[in-house]
Amino acid sequence: MLCVRDLHAAYGNIHVLRGVSFEIVGGQIATILGRNGSGRSTTCKAVMGLLPPLHGQVQLDGVNLAGRESHDIAHAGLGYVPEERLIFTTLTVEENLVLGQKPAKPGAARWTMDELYDLFPRLRERRNIRAGFLSGGEQQMLTMFRTLLGNPCAILIDEPTEGLAPKIVDVVGETILEMKRRGLAVILMEQKLSMAMKVTDTVLVMGHGQIVFTGTPQAFEADPGIRRQWLEVA
Amino acid sequence: MPPQEQSPRSSARVTVVRILPIALVLGALIGLPRFADMAFLNAMVMVCIAALYAMGYNLLWGQAGLISFGHATYFAFGASCTIMTMAAIEGGSSFPTPLLPLAGGAASFLMGLVAGWFATIRTGVYFAMITVAITELVRAIVQRWDSMFGGEAGITSIRMAWGPIGFQKLLDVYYFTLAWTIIGILLLWFLQRSPLGTVIRGIREQEERVRFLGYDTHALKTLVFAISAGVSGMAGGLLAFTNESTNVALYEGAYSTTVLINTVIGGAGVFLGPVVGATLTTLFGYYVANLTYYWLLYMGLLFMVIVVYAPRGISGLGVDAVRRLRSGAPVRWDLLGRFALGWLVVTIGAIMTIELIGAVVQPSYGALARSSGVAWPPVRVFWVSWSPASPLTLGGIALLFGLGAVLLRDTAGTASRNVSTLADAIAGKPGPGV
Ligand SMILES: Nc1ncnc2c1ncn2[C@@H]1O[C@H](COP(=O)(O)OP(=O)(O)O)[C@@H](O)[C@H]1O
Ligand SMILES: [Mg+2]
Repeated sequence: MLCVRDLHAAYGNIHVLRGVSFEIVGGQIATILGRNGSGRSTTCKAVMGLLPPLHGQVQLDGVNLAGRESHDIAHAGLGYVPEERLIFTTLTVEENLVLGQKPAKPGAARWTMDELYDLFPRLRERRNIRAGFLSGGEQQMLTMFRTLLGNPCAILIDEPTEGLAPKIVDVVGETILEMKRRGLAVILMEQKLSMAMKVTDTVLVMGHGQIVFTGTPQAFEADPGIRRQWLEVA
Repeated sequence: MPPQEQSPRSSARVTVVRILPIALVLGALIGLPRFADMAFLNAMVMVCIAALYAMGYNLLWGQAGLISFGHATYFAFGASCTIMTMAAIEGGSSFPTPLLPLAGGAASFLMGLVAGWFATIRTGVYFAMITVAITELVRAIVQRWDSMFGGEAGITSIRMAWGPIGFQKLLDVYYFTLAWTIIGILLLWFLQRSPLGTVIRGIREQEERVRFLGYDTHALKTLVFAISAGVSGMAGGLLAFTNESTNVALYEGAYSTTVLINTVIGGAGVFLGPVVGATLTTLFGYYVANLTYYWLLYMGLLFMVIVVYAPRGISGLGVDAVRRLRSGAPVRWDLLGRFALGWLVVTIGAIMTIELIGAVVQPSYGALARSSGVAWPPVRVFWVSWSPASPLTLGGIALLFGLGAVLLRDTAGTASRNVSTLADAIAGKPGPGV
């Protein structure tokens, strides 16, 4: 279970996160929606220790990780798929995947390179090619697979479908469902009511650096005011 | 500095293409003593040492993207610790003589762990500055600690026989150095091919990404620094073994610069590039130094030309040429011919200029002028006597440079682009070049 409590973070003196709280158990998908600039990517970075939080807790299965180094946090079982698809462009596809490999914690789902290649065979065909030559969708899949090879218990995925062709979006969706089936806690960051709405168990809405709505997808659909206030561009 | 590419196509042929030249060079090196005289064999011992030193150095640059300006410390410390171990063997220690370079390597590795921990806190220019600071610190200590490091006089010892091997003949020393150089290079090769090598190249490209994948990048960079220092220390150990002496002068900045120059000339982006550079400059030192007093100046000029026109070094040029040929692009013989001719006339012009000025500024030249009564006595360059002040000589040189400028007219753009790429690389910015 991943439990974030009252997380505060700032870039210099720009206070971006003002007490973010949410929790999610294994085998569930939560989607955090929010306008551009609402602080979803910052939440990921603060949780991962890439932007040291000012205050608050990040608990994974009861262990507080806030304030630790990001490699420690990754080792504790948190995976992160950044929005910018940060692949290593000069390394081959397979070398990128090798970089992600980490021994699994007890109880965490295990992934092998072959299983992942089966989910998206195109990467297997291109495994000896430099990752910089991949298309956007292939890069997105590579980043997700790289993180999964670290056998995380919980995974943060920042805008996985942005700018992708519908066909690849389906593959991304299936991979996310497979993560859920294997018992991972999945946190998706999304801007629009996209593919995420079809797979998610919980919807959270972010605004002013806080979580302003938590509920089921049905409750969210039933409340157009939330959408108007926090998601639509005025 | 792209990592070696692996293309799936006809891997058997690719393997042959890669292995064959290496096998040929190895065969030549092993058979060399049958053909070479003592002087050349001596030079080749120094080539091996310089090559191993540069290969160790380039683990940091070529793989981790960290450019050290203070590697002499680890080379010299390896030499010091090896000579101390040799002295201990002389004094009855049972340390096996053939493993001596490991003593130097281990010592420098340990020193590299400490120094690397500090240096790799930062990257780019700051990293380079810390390496310089550490070098100066170590030098200051070593040069005052005479009881340990022997001061100006240095430490001397002798190579003790081990079993049937006497280590007295140059032939023994040559094969010994060659073997250890190959061992060191193989070690680096397997390291580069290992998952650790992949992680290190990942760190060079984007350190933060490697961190959130669960790697302690500072610890890894420290380890790479220490391995690089250790291999350089092994090379230093080979030098101590060969010379049967060391000197605190080895700790000076010049030895940090030499390895950097060798790496740039050979090319940091190709695995064996530093070997090419080390071979070239070492042999240059042996043979051109006999021809001209100004050989270091020529080496400096060569370095500058390579930095400006071929920042990926000689091996980088070679790799590019092979790649272009394979891709089936037409060879522009007209351009190649024009550039070759252009560089030839500029080189001749530069040699004329340097040798004439070089001769004229020497005190003996003034004395000759006075005694012979001729204002500008002739100077011999290229087997011909030139009168340094005659319009014919000066006009000839001007003509050479003018012709060169015309022939090389369209290379200025490449040059300025390359310079800015190199500046980025030194500042630690990842980029396509170098
Ligand atoms: N590196 C940074 N330095 C300063 N401000 C930043 C930085 N990154 C993001 N911000 C600011 O933080 C706020 C939240 O950004 P972000 O977390 O990227 O939002 P989202 O991912 O929801 O679009 C924005 O106002 C943005 O301008
Ligand atoms: Mg974002």
